[in-house]
Amino acid sequence: MSDERTKPLFTIDPTLALAVLGLMTMGVLFIYSSGVNSNGVLITTEYMKQILWAGIALIVLVSFSYVNYSLLRDLSFWIYLFFLILLVLTLLFGRVVNGAKAWIGIFGLGGQPSEFAKIATVLFLARFLANKRGQISDWKVFTQAFLIVAIPMILILRQPDTGTTLVFIPIFLVMLFIAGGKVRHILYIAMVGVLSFVLALIPAVETLIYRESNGFGNLLTDPKVLAIIGGTLTLLVALCVVGFQQFKQRIYYWLGYFFSILLIAFLVGYVLRLILKDYQIMRFIVFLDPSVDPKGSGWNLIQSMTAIGSGGFLGKGFLLGTQSHYRFLPMQSTDFIFSILGEEWGFVGALAVFSCFLVLMLRMLFIMQTIKDNFGVLVISGFVGMFFTHVFVNIGMTVGIMPVTGIPLYFMSYGGSSLIAASLAVGITMNIYNRRFRF
Amino acid sequence: MADSGQVSSEGKKLRIITIGALIGFIAFLYLVQLFVMQVVNTGKFSQDATSFSQRSVAVPAKRGEIFDRSHTAPLVLNVDSFQVNFNPAEVPNGDIPQVLAKLAVILRMPFTELERRVPPYLYASFQTIELKKAVDYSTVTRIAENLSLYPGVSWDSSPIRSYVDLESLSHVVGYVGNITQDELQVLYNQGYGLRSVVGKSGIEKRFDLTLRGKEGARFRTVDVNGRNVDSTAKDEIIPESGKDIVLTIDRDIQRLAERALGSRMGSVVVLRPATGEVLAMVSYPYYDPNKFYTDEANREYARLQIDPAFPFLNRTIQSTYPPGSTFKVIMTTAILGDKVLDPNRTFLCTGTVEVGDRVFKCNKLTGHGVVNLAAALAQSCNIYYYSAGLEYLGIDRIDDYSMRFGLGQITGIDLPGEISGLVPTPKWKERTLNYPWLGGDTVNTSIGQGYLQVSPMQMANVVAMVSNAGKVFRPHLVKAIIDPATGRVEESQPEILSESTIAPEVWAQVQDDMRGVISEGTAAVVITTKAVKVAGKTGTAEDGSKGSSNHSWFVAYAPWDDPDPMNRVVVAVQVEKTNEWEWWAPKAADLIFHGIFTQETYEEVLQDLKPWYVRAP
Repeated sequence: MSDERTKPLFTIDPTLALAVLGLMTMGVLFIYSSGVNSNGVLITTEYMKQILWAGIALIVLVSFSYVNYSLLRDLSFWIYLFFLILLVLTLLFGRVVNGAKAWIGIFGLGGQPSEFAKIATVLFLARFLANKRGQISDWKVFTQAFLIVAIPMILILRQPDTGTTLVFIPIFLVMLFIAGGKVRHILYIAMVGVLSFVLALIPAVETLIYRESNGFGNLLTDPKVLAIIGGTLTLLVALCVVGFQQFKQRIYYWLGYFFSILLIAFLVGYVLRLILKDYQIMRFIVFLDPSVDPKGSGWNLIQSMTAIGSGGFLGKGFLLGTQSHYRFLPMQSTDFIFSILGEEWGFVGALAVFSCFLVLMLRMLFIMQTIKDNFGVLVISGFVGMFFTHVFVNIGMTVGIMPVTGIPLYFMSYGGSSLIAASLAVGITMNIYNRRFRF
Repeated sequence: MADSGQVSSEGKKLRIITIGALIGFIAFLYLVQLFVMQVVNTGKFSQDATSFSQRSVAVPAKRGEIFDRSHTAPLVLNVDSFQVNFNPAEVPNGDIPQVLAKLAVILRMPFTELERRVPPYLYASFQTIELKKAVDYSTVTRIAENLSLYPGVSWDSSPIRSYVDLESLSHVVGYVGNITQDELQVLYNQGYGLRSVVGKSGIEKRFDLTLRGKEGARFRTVDVNGRNVDSTAKDEIIPESGKDIVLTIDRDIQRLAERALGSRMGSVVVLRPATGEVLAMVSYPYYDPNKFYTDEANREYARLQIDPAFPFLNRTIQSTYPPGSTFKVIMTTAILGDKVLDPNRTFLCTGTVEVGDRVFKCNKLTGHGVVNLAAALAQSCNIYYYSAGLEYLGIDRIDDYSMRFGLGQITGIDLPGEISGLVPTPKWKERTLNYPWLGGDTVNTSIGQGYLQVSPMQMANVVAMVSNAGKVFRPHLVKAIIDPATGRVEESQPEILSESTIAPEVWAQVQDDMRGVISEGTAAVVITTKAVKVAGKTGTAEDGSKGSSNHSWFVAYAPWDDPDPMNRVVVAVQVEKTNEWEWWAPKAADLIFHGIFTQETYEEVLQDLKPWYVRAP
């Protein structure tokens, strides 16, 4: 054991490094490809900038794998606070990028604080949960943990950046799960979340896809009916609470569990319908049926799926895609980078991307297993949740499994903030791994 | 430590494995989806990709031209015309109002109208929006030369028809227009599309498939903005031009007939009985189809629709009238054909006759005196035909002969919308009017009154049958169809419509009797031409409503004495009773016959013939 403790503290984990380098390389290649127009002329220098950012990101990665992460733990509250303030400043003075007020900076130097706020939140939540061992199921602790996540979420939703906001939920759930949260509590949150969205969208689905009312949508829009349903559900939940306290039978607990899910989802769904803008609802609708608006909101999805599908097994060849170079595919260098890769490198290329991300995430899970420091475990779990969400939501969107929400594909999408933030996460993971024997 | 924490090392491991399994499971689902898309269904997506970037541009086929029988100058031309479109997604949103403002100037359209067509919510749309139709070539050239000023603007060529000096030929030639939903439902299986232009009436409608040709297509690879990516046109379907149509119409005779009828509501048919060729077909009032291709098209169309004179009606085939005394030609043929009455037997016409409790009058109230068949036709004596019809022929024979002459049936002319008229039978009367057939009805029918309804074209055929001694050819307007690509000419052949078994002597007698109408009968004063010997029958018909004047008919053929059937011409004139021109039909026919056989224009005819009934201009 003693010789292991003397191992250098800043070795680079080759598995993680290879996965990251592989993804970054593919990213630069296809950002280059996306800049080539239909006449074969390169029209942007995005790929040059991306190479520069990749260099910075690698320096950040190496630096953070070296600095003792206990420093991060001690400062986590202040880091968290710093990014909350930055998010507020962004809302006040930020610049609009892709329809969201997400960018802030001075003298042309700057970035999207929301990307780094995720890391800060993971660090602070990990510290909070690590200190509350054995009390996760306590509703007070739970509420506090939820608040830590909810505050940045609200700020980011105000930008408005729905995609990035939603990323916080899986991060929270994964961390809660690893911290020892009860499965039924985590499922409770997950079910409330999903059901809220479903209920929020039903009226639009009815009018836009089925084009006729089967009466179900009216249940959710008519204020009178709403009041009756809300009242009934409240009454049922109250009955269950009383019943459980009186008779202490589990049946009351579970009935109350499901009725309260319905009640909360019902209310949240109603509020969401008021908050969500038409174009946001439309994104979900076209995910269900792109032909509702093939030239408008459905365009991205149809073009992306066409690009990937037409790529075939081996792809059309680097720089030889048609959907991409003829500009049918929108946002090729950012949100839809996977589509251009899928078109030009085909199933084989997609397999390469998946391999890299799987190696990355599974290696992180393996590292979690080998370390004993609870804070370290929770931090990495938060990062896994973050990568997991970004990868599956972004790729899912390009192949029509997920609705179109503009979140980047880590290490590949054009943009400095997400690239550096993701590298930061990998750097911190390596750092924690390097110090596994110190605890 | 393990005991104090809620996460035992075993529990932690299990939870980590759970997360790992979840990741693996989702990754597997994704890879299955990718495999299905990229390997299993890649063909379908490749097709989509091609269809996105391969744009087929319809290349319109040149619509066939229409000529008169001389096949010199066309009656219809195709003129270049364009439709200007706009694709908002190609223009940055902020610039769209600016571009629209510039378009408003060049297209001479109100800016508000353009704003209405391109509302802000469509600014991101990839859909092409139609801005204006019927834009002329020079405007499109000006846009094309300054294309950088008009981003997102494109145009389609859609040639329009231009009708040259059509005048009274508008009913024959017809006009074209955009296909309507109703028409598309019927024509969809014949290769028509949403944007087809289709004939709406006349030859344009009846021969639409011949005239329209086959649309071609040009395929090009384009980027999302519709710009050509690949300059070489790989595939091209060359359009097939529509075929040209040569009409049987003789422009000179048409003009002559048109002028002879003048601005009197009615119609003229000039027919070559030996073939069924229609040499002239005039229906007054007519319309100018060129106005349907201007900006005032809708207003003009609405005005014509509500015009009480029904200018859209081709009166030669779409109007029916009681034939009046012209029906006596059929009566005469029936009397001779069935030998029900000795033609030399005489009747005494006193001016009136009583049938049942009704009193029927002759057209000459003082009476014609003693008349035989020939004199009765020549003098148009009603009393003779009353008796012959009621006492000797009977309604069944009258109906039978009417049908043999083609009344009550369409002639099958190659124009759309022909109506059949009516030959009343006792059965018909009982069924529709729920009243028995009376002797008075037979009497009325005998002189072409009552329920009998015929079109001028049918009456022209009646005369054609007499002049051909029993044979009738289907009247037609298309002389030949010419394929401009190959130059192949497809001449239309005369087609026998009906052939009667009536003896030749009967026809000879009817012909002589009809000549008698001109030489010593009712038409002697008005048929003044010496250029040709005319045989015919006048007619004045009451149409049931009270009024001072009657429908005026004249049906005739000439020359009466030429054995070569190719020289013969049938003229049928019908002038509606709304005109103050009493008895104009035989006068118009007089001018027409004179013009045809002297090859003179209307003006020359007036100078040459100096008819008493036309005041010197």
